[in-house]
Amino acid sequence: MYTYKERADFFQSLRCETSLTYISLLVLLSLLISNPIYLAAVFIALNLVIHAAGIMNEWIVYLKYCLVLVLFIILINAIFVNAGSTILFSFPDLPLLGKIRITLEAVSYGIGMGLRLLIMMGAFCLLTYSVDPDLLLKTFGGGKSRIMLALSMSLRLFPLIADDFMRITEAQRCRGVDFKVKSKRKRVRNYLPVLNTVLLSILERSFQMAEALQSKAYGTCERSHFSEKLWRPRDIFVFAATLVTAVITVVFLVAGHTAYNYYPRLQAIGLDDALAAIVIGFGVLIPALLTWGWKKWPYWRLKI
Amino acid sequence: MALLEIKNLTYHYPDTEEPALSRIDLSIKEGEFVVVAGGSGSGKSSLARAIAGLIPDFYGGRIGGSIKLEGRELKEINRAKLAQKIGIVFQDPENQLIMTNVEQELVFGMENLGLPHARMKKAVMEMSGALSLYPFLKSNITQLSGGLKQKVALASVLALQPDILILDEPTSQLDPVAGEEILTILRRMNEENGITVILIEHRLERCLHLADRIIFMEKGRIVHDGQNIRDALKKAFDKGDPFITPLAKLFAAAGSKQIPLTIKEGREIIRQAKSEKPELSWSFDSEPVTTKNTSDIEQLQEKTAEKIYANNTPLLEVERLWFTYENGQETLKDISLKIYPAEFLIIMGENTAGKTTLLKNIRGLLHPSRGNVTISGRSVQDMTVEEQATKVGYLAQNPNDYLFRPSVREEILFTLKNLGMEKDADIEDLMEKFILKDHADYNPRDLSTGERQRVAMASVLAANPPLVLLDEPTRGLDNQMKAILGRVLRSLQEKGHGIIVVTHDVEFAAEYGEKIILMSGGQIIAQGEKHMILSESTFYSPQTGKLFHDIDNSVLTISEGVQALTKIVFRGGIKVVS
Repeated sequence: MYTYKERADFFQSLRCETSLTYISLLVLLSLLISNPIYLAAVFIALNLVIHAAGIMNEWIVYLKYCLVLVLFIILINAIFVNAGSTILFSFPDLPLLGKIRITLEAVSYGIGMGLRLLIMMGAFCLLTYSVDPDLLLKTFGGGKSRIMLALSMSLRLFPLIADDFMRITEAQRCRGVDFKVKSKRKRVRNYLPVLNTVLLSILERSFQMAEALQSKAYGTCERSHFSEKLWRPRDIFVFAATLVTAVITVVFLVAGHTAYNYYPRLQAIGLDDALAAIVIGFGVLIPALLTWGWKKWPYWRLKI
Repeated sequence: MALLEIKNLTYHYPDTEEPALSRIDLSIKEGEFVVVAGGSGSGKSSLARAIAGLIPDFYGGRIGGSIKLEGRELKEINRAKLAQKIGIVFQDPENQLIMTNVEQELVFGMENLGLPHARMKKAVMEMSGALSLYPFLKSNITQLSGGLKQKVALASVLALQPDILILDEPTSQLDPVAGEEILTILRRMNEENGITVILIEHRLERCLHLADRIIFMEKGRIVHDGQNIRDALKKAFDKGDPFITPLAKLFAAAGSKQIPLTIKEGREIIRQAKSEKPELSWSFDSEPVTTKNTSDIEQLQEKTAEKIYANNTPLLEVERLWFTYENGQETLKDISLKIYPAEFLIIMGENTAGKTTLLKNIRGLLHPSRGNVTISGRSVQDMTVEEQATKVGYLAQNPNDYLFRPSVREEILFTLKNLGMEKDADIEDLMEKFILKDHADYNPRDLSTGERQRVAMASVLAANPPLVLLDEPTRGLDNQMKAILGRVLRSLQEKGHGIIVVTHDVEFAAEYGEKIILMSGGQIIAQGEKHMILSESTFYSPQTGKLFHDIDNSVLTISEGVQALTKIVFRGGIKVVS
């Protein structure tokens, strides 16, 4: 579930630089855009890209957890932010919380923030399952970038740590530790030994990996690169689409179109916004369109 | 000139008084195959790391003396050059692999050295071919078996074409088949490519016949270094050293001056004895003289049955158990077995036979798809895993999973507190039982592998459960630690505990088990008393069993073998040749 698996698919055949640029665009869009229509267009396009990349099952697992978080964001915003003029529900004075008014604006704002989170998680899902972590390390690592080394080794260690967690939980259950106890406090306390043991395991693994790195002369010379994927038309198409989308987004940003006012009343959304959202969404969708062409049309597959 | 010359090497790890290496003098010639043996803490791994340049660069500490490679001081050789001269493969295949993809792992070291693309491509082609890794080049490393991972680790080191290859217990985490593969590759590398091999290994019976030389270490010193391996084994036996092969132990204990290194040699010695003393009624051609003949084996079975059926209630009953994982993989098929108090059952089989899955079903960590598991008459499905802690003690493959408290005493107390038994249990007695009294206040993670395992065992058996399950408890243990483990399990058995051990270790199974189950493809292929099962087996037979195969099939353990050989000696059998 947590591991990158080599597949003969379009997205994985892209160069690491291309994939990372595209994923960076997604993150950038989620940070720069607050207009929910734009965000929705990006999110829909991203889902289609994830489907085309063949990692929908993995994304659904991420979605389950993310949607819980999104719901949480909406609730918190709705309960604690009493701004907005369209009242949906109103509650009497409650201790500490005071008068609660659930407004359409607050709920919408929560949804907007939720969409941003979902886009970021989608980008992370693509990074985990469609970008070879080894190439990630090699493209930006070597002795120079310790951050990329740390990132890549984290991706390598993640499935091991997940396995450690499962095994250690089982081991502690065999010693009578009850993880299903009703009291949340007790449940958290019961997980402390597991987390402690997992941490110790991570430290031991890291030490041994560091020793292996040392024995293989990591960081002694300028690193060379093996199996560089060649630049192909598909990389150029995706790169170009990414750059154009980024430029368009910046233009819209400067023109003020990507911003959105939720309070005191939801800003009206016009045809212009819808069209602009479609343009940006289309830019994000390019890898999916290329993938479908690559799968269905042999001539296209040969050419790109 | 020796390839590697070590003079007066002494090393202290940081903040330690006791030296890990003490006045080591060692000279290794090009092309030698050297086996280094010794107990836990003897300094073998420290020596390996000193030669590989990891000590003191990576570990720090204080070092004295000199290590020279081709006449040059090791500390004067830069790390990049050293990596091309000396390669090291560590014990745990999982933690020495950096990349997620096999091909990337093979080239990782070469990329670190800035080697050109063409050379890397050639090395990948050669190594993947030589080690049969070609079909796995694009595979994700996390999905490979332990044996394949270790082959990848070896290939990635060999890709740098080192002159010296150091391997620190490379087979200890592997099953026998995978271990054999690694050793076969080493033999080829040494014989066909002239690579100097320094192998640290506990299971000497697997590798001594490959060695040109054996070094025994103790407390940081070399106590024996010689090319006469048989002589070294005899001396080790005379000293009471546990680090010798079962064959050597057998022949030395029987008073033979001829010490074989292989089964073939051992059978040749016995054949020679036969040819020199034809009056012996014991021969290969006629009826075997048995210390235990077939009817004796049946008697033994009845005796064992008497013992176990003395108490009619089985501790564990598994009835027609089927288990399928969520991904549809059918792992257990129609398994039925019973365990009675004071019974010692060994379960063996190839990887993915379903052994661990069976233990987990018994322990309640997994639930049967069909069938029943009952413990002392109560269905496992009617109890939570936590409730079962007083009925079944389960030690998984990695004892480190259990250890997190700052002292051994607290580790045991943790289980007792969870079960509300801290006032009733005698912790001191428990520690005595598991030979942990001297380590009571130590952090379990600072102890040796065998000691950690006993701490983990004590922590799951603190509640005195009648049924004990152990999954691969001998993995990574040397002979001495295995003997201690065996004694502890025997004492539990004598107290009436039912014991089930899953293991690949045939020697341990033959020595300590009573009943054997062989599993394959999720099914029980054979089950019965150990002499019946192991003596009829080609692969699942200890060295003693293989030695006496078709001579006396009732001989399995060392003591039975010594008895058989001594009888021959008394009958004037084995020619004592100095």
